[in-house]
Amino acid sequence: MPDLLLETRGLTHRYGDVVALLDVDLAVPPGRVGLVGANGAGKTTFLKILLGILDPPAGSVRVLETDVRTDPLEVRERVGFMPEAACLPRDQTAADFIGYTAELAGLPPRAARQRASDVLTLTGLHEERFRPLGGFSTGMQQRAKLAQALVHDPALVLLDEPTAGLDPEGREEMLDLIVRLGGFGINVVVSSHVLPDIERTCEWVIMLDGGKVLRSGPIAGLEETGAIEVELLDDATAVAEALRTRGLLVDAEGHRMTVRPGSAALDPFAVILDALADQGAGLRRMAKRSLTLEDVFLGAETESDSRP
Amino acid sequence: MSDRGAVFDLGYKPYDGVRNGRRGAIQAVVKEGWRKVLGLRRRARRKVLPWALLAIALIPVVIYVGVLAVTGELAENTDVFGHAQYFNLTGFIAHLFIALAAAELLVPDRVDGTMQVYASRPLRTTDYLAARAFSLASIVFGFMMVPQLLLYLGEGAVSTNGFLDHVTGNLGTLGDALAASLLYVLAYAPLAFMLAALAGKTNVAAALYLGLMAMSGPVTRGLVDNEFEIAGLFALDHHPRYLRDWLFDTSTKVPDWIPADAGYDEWVSAAVIAATAVLSAVLIVRRYRRAL
Repeated sequence: MPDLLLETRGLTHRYGDVVALLDVDLAVPPGRVGLVGANGAGKTTFLKILLGILDPPAGSVRVLETDVRTDPLEVRERVGFMPEAACLPRDQTAADFIGYTAELAGLPPRAARQRASDVLTLTGLHEERFRPLGGFSTGMQQRAKLAQALVHDPALVLLDEPTAGLDPEGREEMLDLIVRLGGFGINVVVSSHVLPDIERTCEWVIMLDGGKVLRSGPIAGLEETGAIEVELLDDATAVAEALRTRGLLVDAEGHRMTVRPGSAALDPFAVILDALADQGAGLRRMAKRSLTLEDVFLGAETESDSRP
Repeated sequence: MSDRGAVFDLGYKPYDGVRNGRRGAIQAVVKEGWRKVLGLRRRARRKVLPWALLAIALIPVVIYVGVLAVTGELAENTDVFGHAQYFNLTGFIAHLFIALAAAELLVPDRVDGTMQVYASRPLRTTDYLAARAFSLASIVFGFMMVPQLLLYLGEGAVSTNGFLDHVTGNLGTLGDALAASLLYVLAYAPLAFMLAALAGKTNVAAALYLGLMAMSGPVTRGLVDNEFEIAGLFALDHHPRYLRDWLFDTSTKVPDWIPADAGYDEWVSAAVIAATAVLSAVLIVRRYRRAL
């Protein structure tokens, strides 16, 4: 297993005057990685650069510790790609096409057929393997696209919007499958603008906006703010004042307070309960305040916009 | 555990066997090209046209050899039904086959988005194009050569001199047929391939090629007849036939080729064929520069 899955330095790409990626520096460890951003954020451009399809005018990029710009074919031997757009021939059966894509990755014909059968089973298409791909539903096509990305046993798969067009059940199955890939030792980069999908499947997130990296880091801990939200039966002003005197940071408005641990090394929950008892205040609700990935993304976006 | 059976999740089995890399990928594209053109591993209706065209191209030789076998005579005057004339007999069928084959090899990959799959494999754009071009050239060569071979062997089988004597005594004719088949491939396949690279639909690509072949003769004939001799260079359908007659030494019997009427020697036709192939290759590569 490589130390770093992806590594970029000063990566920049432009389409004419339009900047697709600007000065992207990343060091991403192995595992399941989410690539998030709005449409036009540069996600697909980034994936194409990782595959060596686009040659960026500036910067360096390494995938699985191989320089993509000097050795794109070696990278492609070890990487699978599931495109967002349609990529399946209508007149071939799933077994034939997936077997062919395995041969395209360099596997001998017999091994390619065996691998095709294995991944079609893995992706739930075993029963449909002799049907022409043109007759597949959207969900089945997504599975077939995933199968062609996995058939040559890549060390890394790049999935571009894998849940696009799927119904809720199909989406759940696809997300489960993506999580399972990690268990098979396959690294995954999932590009999506559906943040809950990334939250559910990935361990690391790269947030892109307007070609710039807003944030790159582990998802675990992102949702923790350290703050506690408290809702009282009555006005919170007196309790808030009592908490401030005990060294906590408090924002109070009406019946509600947001409490953050200050410099004092106290358990804020215990301090709040003490203060409530002292003031004789009635408690309606108290909970840790957590963020969704969407909150983090929007916050980072706002922060980036406000920078000079 | 119940004895009524159980479902096991077999999980995922990593592959640690041989990987042939770029070479394996190119071989796969070539083989798949042959299958595409012939409709193999496709629905029955996809097989109908290519195999019907091949059958039609073979019918005259089968009938001819059959008649010879029944009558027991070999028409030694091969002017009536010789190897050179057989190319004329299958001319339109060959054009139709080339048009359909070239379109089938390039257009669906772009229309169906399959180019994205090629882009994720250890394959360069030029590898893909070279492999597809080889598929086309080899299968068109086969299409031209199989009837010639049957004619050659069939004549041998009914020859009064015996099969071996006929076959060994006419190797020069077989060589001419091979060379003429290669000429046809070189003259027609690059044009069809180039039009397939530019067209957005298979039937449009095929129609463009057939239209070009059908029109270039009459149009250039009219211009050459009006003393605009340089138009003779654009008689695309006539160059390989002019050279073929030169190869088979039948030019004195069929003096009707436009380049000849325009006053061009055989080497000019050879140069035009080569130049057309090179120009087509350049246009195809430009078209696909950003495809993978």
